[in-house]
Amino acid sequence: MRILRSLTDGIGFDLILIGAAMAFLMAMAGLPLVYNVLMSFQEVDMFSLGSLIRPWAGFDNYRSVVAQPEFWLVMKNTALFVVGSIAGQFTLGFALALFFHQNFPGSATIRGLFLVSWVMPGLVVGAIWSFILAGDYGVLNALLQGVGLISEPVFWKSDPNLSLYAVIIANIWLGLAFNMLLLSVGLAAIPRDIYEAAELDGATAWQRFRTITLPMMRSTIGAVLSLGLIGTLQQFDLFPAITEGGPANTSNVSQYWAWQMSFKLYDFARGATISVMMLVLVLFAAVIYVRSTRGEVRG
Amino acid sequence: MNGAMNQIELTGIEKHYGGYHALKSVNLAIPKGGFVALVGPSGCGKSTLLRTIAGLETITGGAIHIAGQDVTTLPPRLRDIAMVFQSYALYPHMTVAENLTYALRLKGVPKPVARKRAEDIAETIGLTPLLDRYPRALSGGQRQRVAMGRAIIREPKAFLFDEPLSNLDAALRVHMRAEIRKLHNRLGATSVYVTHDQIEAMTMADHVVVMRAGVIEQQGAPLELYDRPANRFVAGFIGSPAMNFIDAVTTDQGVKLALPGEPVIATTTRSQPGRKVLAGLRPEHLAVDPDGALRLPVALVEQTGSTSYLVTDTEPMLTVSANLRRDIHPGDVVGLSIDPARVHLFDPATEARL
Repeated sequence: MRILRSLTDGIGFDLILIGAAMAFLMAMAGLPLVYNVLMSFQEVDMFSLGSLIRPWAGFDNYRSVVAQPEFWLVMKNTALFVVGSIAGQFTLGFALALFFHQNFPGSATIRGLFLVSWVMPGLVVGAIWSFILAGDYGVLNALLQGVGLISEPVFWKSDPNLSLYAVIIANIWLGLAFNMLLLSVGLAAIPRDIYEAAELDGATAWQRFRTITLPMMRSTIGAVLSLGLIGTLQQFDLFPAITEGGPANTSNVSQYWAWQMSFKLYDFARGATISVMMLVLVLFAAVIYVRSTRGEVRG
Repeated sequence: MNGAMNQIELTGIEKHYGGYHALKSVNLAIPKGGFVALVGPSGCGKSTLLRTIAGLETITGGAIHIAGQDVTTLPPRLRDIAMVFQSYALYPHMTVAENLTYALRLKGVPKPVARKRAEDIAETIGLTPLLDRYPRALSGGQRQRVAMGRAIIREPKAFLFDEPLSNLDAALRVHMRAEIRKLHNRLGATSVYVTHDQIEAMTMADHVVVMRAGVIEQQGAPLELYDRPANRFVAGFIGSPAMNFIDAVTTDQGVKLALPGEPVIATTTRSQPGRKVLAGLRPEHLAVDPDGALRLPVALVEQTGSTSYLVTDTEPMLTVSANLRRDIHPGDVVGLSIDPARVHLFDPATEARL
C-alpha cells in the first residue's frame, strides 16, 4: 500500500526512473566489465567457456601477454595511433571551428554538412577510405600522381611503413566533425565584447587567440582531448575494413589485437587481459575529462 | 577642416547595414579635453557612432580623424583609444591586476613596471584590496571600476563610454556619475559618453549631442539645448518631466492655447495671426498662481516630498511641477501662469522651432 502510494505521489517514481537506468547499465556494461576483469585472472579454454568458476591463474595471463613477440610493436602502434589521430583531429577541428566562427554567409550550413562524417558508421567510413587508399586503383594515388607529387603508386595499406598511417588518416576524417563541433560550442561561449576590448587594448589577432581564446577554452580543450583519447582507443571498425592490423601487425593496435586474441585465436583469457590493460588507460582519460569539465573558467 | 584643433573629428559619417541606414551624414568635432555625451532613444545610432570612432564598426562613407591623424581605415588596436563597455567586458580568466596591465603587457612593458602602474591606478580608484581577485568575485560597482582602471592605465588619446552605468543601481549610478566626471577633469582626457539617460548627459557633459534615427538633431551646451531646443524632438527629450505640448493658434496678443477657456499667453511671436503652432511648456516653468491665465482642473497629484507634480484633467494633459507642498487635491481647479519668454513654439508640420 505504501509502495503504491509512493508511486502515485511521485516520491518513489524518481527512484524507479534511476533504477531502470542503473539496471540497464549494470546488465549491459557493469556485468560484462566485471566478467572481463575476472576472466583475465583465470585459465580459460573452449571447454570452460560456459562456466563462471575456472582455475585461478593470477597474473599469468598478464605475463604471457607482455611476453608476446608482437606486444611492444602493438603498444607502440597504439600510442602512435592515439597521438596521431588526436593531433590531427584536434588541430584540423580547431582550425575548422575558427574558420566557421567567422560567420560568413552559409557558414552554419556548411558546418552542419561536416557532421556527415560523424553520422556514418565506422565500417562504411573504413570501406570508403579503403577504396580511396587502394594502391592500384585508389583515388588518392591518382590525385597525387596527377599533381606530380609521386611518380609510382603508393601502397598505403600494404606498405609496412605506411599501413598504420592509412588508418590514422581515416580516423582523423572520422573524428574531425566531432572535434570541430565541440570546439565551435566553446568558441561561441566567449563573449564578443571581450575580443573587442582586447582589440582596443592593442592585441593582434594572434595575441587575441593566445591570451583570450586559448585560456578561455581550457576546459573545452581538456574535454575534447580526453574524449578524443577515449574515442580513439575505442576505434575498432576502421581496422577490419582497411588493414586488418597487417601487414605483419604493423598496423595492429591493442583494441584490435584483443579482438583477434579472443575471436580469431579463441584465447579468451589473453583477449580479456589486453582489454583490461586498455580499460586502465581509458579510466585515466575519463578522470581527466571529468576534472576538466568541472573547472570551468567563466566570468 | 582643422584637424589639429580637435581631438576627434567626424566628417560626413555614413553607415549602412544592408538596406538599413544607421548613420546619416554625421559631423561632430570634439575638442581636446572635451566631454561629449551622445544621447537619444534606443536604436538612434549613438552606440554605432561610438563603435565607429573605436573602429569596431567600419563606416560606409566619411572620415574619422583622431588627434589630427586620419584613422578611417585603421584597425581598433592602432587607434590608441580606450573603451568602457556596458557589460564591462573584463577578461574573466585574469585577475584584476592582470586585467589592468593587459594592454601594457601586450606592448612589452616589463611585468614589475606594469604591476607598479596597476598598483598606482588601483590606489586612485580604490581597487587596491581587490588586485588579486578574479572578476567573478567582484560586485557590479567594483567591475565598473576595473573597467575604468583598464582604460585609464593606457593614457589613450580618448575615452569612449558605452552606457557604462546602466547596469548599476540608482544610488551607485549617481555616485559614479560624479566620479567619472572628476576623473575626466583630473586627467584632462577627451571623453565620448553614450547614454539613453538625458540626466546623465546633462549633468556630465559639456557638449550634448541629441540623436534620432541616425541623424544629429541638435548639439550644444546642455543648457543651450534646454533653453533653445531646435525642434520638438529635442524639446521633448531634454528635461524631466518632459515638456508639455499643446496645439495653439497665434493671435495679435500672442498665442491662444487649445485648452479649456482658450487662454492667451502674450508671447512676442513674429508669425502672422491665425497660424497654427505647437506650444511647448516645461512643467517646471508653469507656476501655481490664483491669478494665472490658465485655470485647469486637477486629475492627479504626485508628491515626492520636495516637489509636487500636478497632472491636469485636460486633453492633452499637462504636468506641472510645484516646488512646495500645496494643499491641492484631485478635482480642484488651479490657476497657472507662465513667463511668456519661456514658451517654446514649434511648427506643427516640420516640428522645427519658430
